[in-house]
Order: sequence, then C-alpha cells, then structure tokens
Amino acid sequence: MSKSEKKIVLKSLDNEAFEVEKAVALQSQTIWVMCEDKCVGNEIPLENVTGQILAKVIDYCKKHAVVDGDGDESSEELKNWDTEFTKNMDQSTLFNMILAANYLNIKSLLNLTCQAVADKTKTIDEFHTFLNIENNFTPEEEAQICQENLWAFDD
Amino acid sequence: MFYKISTKKTPLSSLIMSLPEDVIIDILARVPRCDYPKLSLVSKHFRSLVVSPELYARRSLLGCTEHCLYAVIFNNETKDFHLYILRPKNNGNRCLVLIPSLPTMCYGVSFVAVGPRIYMFGGDQKNMASSIDCRSHMVQTLPSMPVPMSFTIAGSIDGRIYVIGYRDYNRWNNVMVVFNTKTQMWEPEIIKIDIELRSMWSKWSYGCVVMADKLYMRDDKNSFIYDPKKSKWERDERLNSKKWKCACVVDDVLYYHDTYKNEVRAYDPKQKRWSVVKGLEELLSETTNSWYSDIMCCGGKLALFFPKIIIKTKQNEVWCAEISLKKHRGEIWGRVEWYDNVLTGNCCVTKPLTVMV
Repeated sequence: MSKSEKKIVLKSLDNEAFEVEKAVALQSQTIWVMCEDKCVGNEIPLENVTGQILAKVIDYCKKHAVVDGDGDESSEELKNWDTEFTKNMDQSTLFNMILAANYLNIKSLLNLTCQAVADKTKTIDEFHTFLNIENNFTPEEEAQICQENLWAFDD
Repeated sequence: MFYKISTKKTPLSSLIMSLPEDVIIDILARVPRCDYPKLSLVSKHFRSLVVSPELYARRSLLGCTEHCLYAVIFNNETKDFHLYILRPKNNGNRCLVLIPSLPTMCYGVSFVAVGPRIYMFGGDQKNMASSIDCRSHMVQTLPSMPVPMSFTIAGSIDGRIYVIGYRDYNRWNNVMVVFNTKTQMWEPEIIKIDIELRSMWSKWSYGCVVMADKLYMRDDKNSFIYDPKKSKWERDERLNSKKWKCACVVDDVLYYHDTYKNEVRAYDPKQKRWSVVKGLEELLSETTNSWYSDIMCCGGKLALFFPKIIIKTKQNEVWCAEISLKKHRGEIWGRVEWYDNVLTGNCCVTKPLTVMV
C-alpha cells in the first residue's frame, strides 16, 4: 500500500479538509461503509459536521487508534484522557459531538458523550437550563407530578 | 438521517430535540434513577420517556441498572405499614422517604423483591397477592393465591417465588405455593409441607433467605432448608446452632446482626461454619442498645438498619449503615462505607428490600 492510500481526506460541512490516517478515520462505521462503497474517492464529504467539531472527533479517533494499535497506553490512561476530553466542553459542543458521533457511527464516542451529558444533569435547575427545553406543563400538571414524586425532592 | 449541525450559539433546545429518540434514551438511561422525577418535570415528552419500558431496557443493556433500597416502615403511632425509599439528599446524606402515592400495607404480609418489583402476599386478605412496580410506584393486583394463607414468608429463586404459610389460620397446616414472575401466574400445585414447622412468625418475621438455589427459613426453634430441584426438605444442625433472623445473603453466605451479642455473624453453608464479621467495632458501639435490627444485601454490600433513642429529646431514630465485605485469610472483614440517621420518628423498619431499577 502506498503512502497516499493510507491517508484519507475528510471534508467538513464548512469545507474544511482534514487529512488523516485511514486507520483513524475507519473507527467511524459511516466512513468505513463509504470507503467500502468505493463510489467516493480519497476525499470524503461529511455534510453534517462542521470543521470545529470534526477536528475534535479526529482528536478522539487519533487517540483511540494509537491505543488500539500498539497498546502502549493503559486503559486507565485512556479513561483519564476521555474524562479530560469532555470535561470542559460546553453544552453546545457536547450535543454537537453526540450528533456527530451518532452520524459518523462511532459507538465509543457516542457512549462517552452521552455519559458526559448524563453526568452533567444534576439538579432540577440544571436540568432545565442544561436541556433548555420549554416546560409545557400547566401549573396544575406540574403540581401533580411534584405530588406523585414527593419522595424525590428535598424539603 | 441528515441533521444540520451548527456550532453557532443556537438555542440548545433545538439541539437535544434534534437528537434521534434512541440517543435521547441513551442519555437518560445513564442518569441516576433518583433524578428521574426531576427529569419528568422537564417536559411532557420527557415525562413519557421516563416511564417508558424502552428506557429501563436500555438501562439494563448499558449496565446502568441500580440497586435501590426500600424499606417497609411500621409507624408506632398510627400502627400503619408504609413503603419508604432510601435516597441521597442534596447535602450528600441519605434519608428514608415515604412514597405517598402507595397505600398502607397490611399486617402479616410477606414481601419479596424480584427485579424492579416488590411482591406482596397474604396479610389480612388471605388470598391477596399484588406487586409494586418500583419504576412507576404503581400497585398491580395479581391473581389470587390458590389457597388462603396467613403469616406467610417468601423467597425467590430464578423468578419463581415460594410462598410458605399457614393454610387459613391453622398453624398445624403449613403449605407452600409457587408464583411464577415470568408468566405472572400461580403454579397449580399446592405443596404440602411434611415437616413440623412451628411458628414462623414472631412480631417481626424471622424471614426467609435463598442461598445456592435453596430456601433457608426458620421457625421459633429450628432452621429448615428446602431444595426445590429435589423437592426435598433438609436440616443443617450447624446453621441451627444460632438463632438467626432478619438475615440476608451475599455470595451464598448468610449474614445477620445478633442484637443480643451485638455482632454481625456470617454462615457459610458450604463449609458449615459460623464466623463473626471483623472490623465493625466502631459501628457496633452505636448498636449496643438496638432492640431490633434488619440487614439487607444491596449490590454485594450489607445495609444494616438499626434504631437509636436520643435520650435528650426522647426521639426515635432509624439509622442505616452500608458495609462492604472482604475475605482475608479465611476471615470476613467489613468496612463501614457510611452510616446515617435516615429517619426520625416513632417508627421502625420491618422489612428492607433491594429492588433493581
């Protein structure tokens, strides 16, 4: 295999191009299927992912490809790296990472980011602000749910 | 499946709601279960997700299922039995809280937890069988017991619940019936108990535990073992040498707190050997005056419930301690992970239960 065949170019929604090792990119089942199809050349357009998010996804894939490849790093180290990776992501980035991981079909990244969101939802106020969903209950309905679930709330 | 993803500061609502339902369920499945009521307040859509079977199936698939401790509490003033749940408070302490949506429990009922449900048999209405689904805290009436039974005890093996009790009120006529939790039906056979079982019920039941697919129970004098595979009753004289009660099982070893000697004892049926759990001196200095206690296995650890009276205020308190276990050179060592006053009031724990949700 020549050097160029080992590389692949991923092109983001906003036309940013990333040249990566094939082994790194193929952690995405979506990209893997696209490569198998052979209907795409060496350049794979990813119409759903912006450059900013794609860069992070590639960081993740690089880290995990290296570890899976030579086994130099312990799983403990990898776990710490994963924690650091999502720790300071803002909500917007985190949700975009989930969307990207889901679209690109990278199971481990989807697990990691879903867990990160779950870990960040701690108190009721945070739920509302974090998820930022409009509360569509009437005050009566809300009171009823609170009543049914009294056990779950602090005084 | 094409979503436009933008990193601009768009409203986040569009982001989470733009996730496929499957991914939303994946996120919610990873949230601690005691936060579900808060989640159900987010929106109508979330409320429907929180009670959906898919969510609990996903929790199980992801290994997010939690061991959740419940306790049947007897109120000395109202003489009522109610179900409580042990949950963490925002300040990090634990507390037992009443589940107000559930009706009062009857006296003489036996409780057994299987998966996410608590099953209840007998009691005042002697044919009564029902279950509480701890995901929704809803009560479901089950097919009536094949025979009226009072003062029942129950244990479950492989999804089958063995209910033993007096036929009617006749303590000389003990029978056993089997409820299959998979089919939610009673098995037709009424098993006559051909050994002499005396009173199995003190004010608080001595209880029934399961070790290595056998039921262990005791009356006011003797311990009995039932092997369902062989349909055979057995005796174990070593086990019989201690008046165990309100016991639980971790890794096929029986544990109970002897309030008289104030020790946590363990019985290994394979070695036929009793031992005392080491390393609990500090905790046990708190239980010297406990007139009852009850112990439950929760995720491989012990949860010990015990009462305390605060002399100054003459208040009753229920305490709970979580103990992790370790075997070292043939001895069992306990380490107290935490202990807390979990409930204050004139009441006591009659039956702790571990539910998987």
